[in-house]
Amino acid sequence: MESLDGMTDELARVFAAKEQRRKALARLPFPEKVRAVIKLQEMAATILRARGKSVKPWSASGTGL
Amino acid sequence: MAATFYAEPFLTFDLDVFVLLQARTTGLISLTPIYEALRTRGYREEQECVVIEDVPVQFLPAYNSLVEEALAEAREVDYEGVPMRVLRAEHLIAICLQSGRGKDRERVRLLREQGQLDPEYLADLLRRHKLEEKWKAWTE
Repeated sequence: MESLDGMTDELARVFAAKEQRRKALARLPFPEKVRAVIKLQEMAATILRARGKSVKPWSASGTGL
Repeated sequence: MAATFYAEPFLTFDLDVFVLLQARTTGLISLTPIYEALRTRGYREEQECVVIEDVPVQFLPAYNSLVEEALAEAREVDYEGVPMRVLRAEHLIAICLQSGRGKDRERVRLLREQGQLDPEYLADLLRRHKLEEKWKAWTE
């Protein structure tokens, strides 16, 4: 069944799961969050470099991880 | 980075460290002693940051009463056996409201959603630093 804005039950479940994941991420211990930030930096660095921006992801060893 | 302590991880490439510095006899505040001490340890300056173990760190003198209060009331936490001080989520919100940039607005949204705030502490903080109007504008 579709609602007026096009949101299906399946999509609603996907969005609810995403929200749950975000809440779970917020509850992670801080060192694990730092690891996640480094992963995000590595993912973003490729795109940013292609745009000509010079960025360097942190190293896990440098942050004590 | 401090907001990540309370909310989901988000992309950032630098680390801001607020510091309390004594004014010189001239009344000026200088970051030079920090930069010099880090240089002797082999850390180099890169634009406005010092690169410490591959992490660009920007030292910011506490620039007003809100930041001074935030530092005084920061929480001491353990990071893999190393003690560190992190500003309270309520102070991070107040500083974001003062700064007023687009990314600050996004941080306020995240912290409000996930930061497990103390509503009475936040209300008092916003009242004392005259940030209630901005809070209303950003959250209603």
